[in-house]
Amino acid sequence: MSFKDQIAFVRQHIRRNRLRVFMTVLAATMGTAFLIVLASVGFGLHKTIKDEVLSNQMVTQVEVYSEELTDAKTDAMKKMDHVKAVVHRKQLAPTAFAELDGYTAGLNAYFTDFGEEATSGFKLAEGRFPEKPGEVVVGSGFAEQLIDEKATVKEGEELPTYKEALLGKTVTFKFEPLKEGAVSEEWPLKIVGIKEAPGKDWAFDGYLYMDDRLMPEMEKGLAAVSPEPEEGVEPDGFTYPQVNVYVDKLENVKSVTGALKDDGYSVYSVSEEIEQLDVFFLALKAGLVFVGTIAILIASIGIFNTMTMAVTERTREIGVMKALGAGPKLIQRLFIMESAWIGIVGTVIAVLISYGVSMVANAVLPVIVTAALGEDGADLGVTFSVIPWQLVLIASAISLGVAMISGWRPARKATKTDVIGALRHEL
Amino acid sequence: MIEVKGLAHSFRVGKKGKETEVPVLKGLTLQAADGEIVSIVGRSGSGKSTLLHILAGFLQPDSGRVLVDGTDLTAMNEAQRAAYRLDHFGFVFQNFQLMPGLTAFENVELPLTLKGVPAAERRRKVEELLESTGLSDIRSHYPNELSGGQQQRVGIARALITEPPIIFADEPTGSLDSETEQDILLLIQSLNRTYGITFVIITHDDEVAAIADRTYRMHDGELAEGGLRHVI
Repeated sequence: MSFKDQIAFVRQHIRRNRLRVFMTVLAATMGTAFLIVLASVGFGLHKTIKDEVLSNQMVTQVEVYSEELTDAKTDAMKKMDHVKAVVHRKQLAPTAFAELDGYTAGLNAYFTDFGEEATSGFKLAEGRFPEKPGEVVVGSGFAEQLIDEKATVKEGEELPTYKEALLGKTVTFKFEPLKEGAVSEEWPLKIVGIKEAPGKDWAFDGYLYMDDRLMPEMEKGLAAVSPEPEEGVEPDGFTYPQVNVYVDKLENVKSVTGALKDDGYSVYSVSEEIEQLDVFFLALKAGLVFVGTIAILIASIGIFNTMTMAVTERTREIGVMKALGAGPKLIQRLFIMESAWIGIVGTVIAVLISYGVSMVANAVLPVIVTAALGEDGADLGVTFSVIPWQLVLIASAISLGVAMISGWRPARKATKTDVIGALRHEL
Repeated sequence: MIEVKGLAHSFRVGKKGKETEVPVLKGLTLQAADGEIVSIVGRSGSGKSTLLHILAGFLQPDSGRVLVDGTDLTAMNEAQRAAYRLDHFGFVFQNFQLMPGLTAFENVELPLTLKGVPAAERRRKVEELLESTGLSDIRSHYPNELSGGQQQRVGIARALITEPPIIFADEPTGSLDSETEQDILLLIQSLNRTYGITFVIITHDDEVAAIADRTYRMHDGELAEGGLRHVI
């Protein structure tokens, strides 16, 4: 019997028992949809937390810590495979100030190589990268740090901050003299770029980013206003090193992290955190799939019943087919195909329903939750349900497998139908 | 040619563990030549149906052999016997045994479908056969829309469609009135003469047995004394 004829044969039998098959398909659909929706919550939470981690940091960034991070060492890192850029920022250690149009700010500043910063993904909201040592980039919150200390305000009110546009303005940089009577040298720094604001609302960037070619000059300037270091006492450092290695692709982060560890550096990359997250969520998702599978197993009882009924009802037909020359394998295949059909249709409908439920859940649940929390209209930033193709594949395999196993025993029973008894069977 | 040699079979009856053996066939030996109509006559319980079931390969005997053109059916497994039936045997049943969900056309087509014959060839063959057996008008009718005689004609057409050399008929007129019975017997005789098909007919009716070239009379699992009667 050709495969096409087998399909036609199965379809004909399904048409004859529409209602019963429909109810069985419904049970299979509900079981599979339950599995997919349940597991999709695990996938949704995983995505939410992963996105949260990734939005705080660049995925391809590897932070490197070491007691001695020299330019020679960072140059060696640049030569490593898959390394796109190595940004060696030096955070200014001593207290310094910036002044602009009568507004002053205590400074948090970095010395850096803007060429490497540009390659690593340092983004500007406005302006351009500095080309000369006297040009700087400021963080998006820099203006908020500039306050008018001479202004008179009522008690409890805050001092006014700088409201004008910063681009093109020149700020004056100076150190706080540590030696009595000393006056710090001043450096006029032209603001040529403003860094893009951090992704998170709560994050604040008030840094001043300076060209690292200014560093030796400023170090001397600080020394001029500092007392002579006492003998045998190590002077405080001028900067704290901060090295970030940027890898070309996410999949290479692991190998670069490993290579840096082998070189004796302490490293941290988001991939390590994600790896731990992935392990945890893999266990959670496997658990949810397991619970969902129980629903499919319950549905399989329906398939088993339907197929057993089908075999019992068709005993005479099976007998006639066997008498005419249908082999046991063909009879078995026809019944397994019928239960597989129930599984396939149930799975297809379940997948469609699950996507619908998932979309509705992601649209409606945030509204309900924010309303319950009294934060109407706020963005929760939580994805409640995600259905990746892998989940569809796993659920389909489980559903189809269970449907076929449920149909296997009745199909075996059909093959063992006694021809003589079947031909005597009354309808 | 069908040759039956020393065929014996018993059924086990009773509760499990307390079964008793009831012998149904007691060492039968008989034969049917090519192109013959052979009838096996006997009363209920004589073992004639069991003999037919063994001849058709539905049942394995306890001992003895069934040779069809030299091929030993009793040495085959279930799947081999099914395949052999599909290629060599046709069946006509007392209760017609048509598929209730299939039309007359589809019922006749069924053995060809099982054989994997392409749809276009199947259609052509079935059309031709329905035409020659006068069933074209009822081709789209379902079994429950047909009279007993029409159902049995469809059953015979289904047995013929694969052009088998042997057709087994189990009480082929058992469910029919006497007028229709005559029609069916004439059809069997005509098919036998036209196509040289061997018919093995199981019946309790002497009128049916009368069309046979060779008749075996059975009693209590054995051929009755003087049971073999050659008509020709």
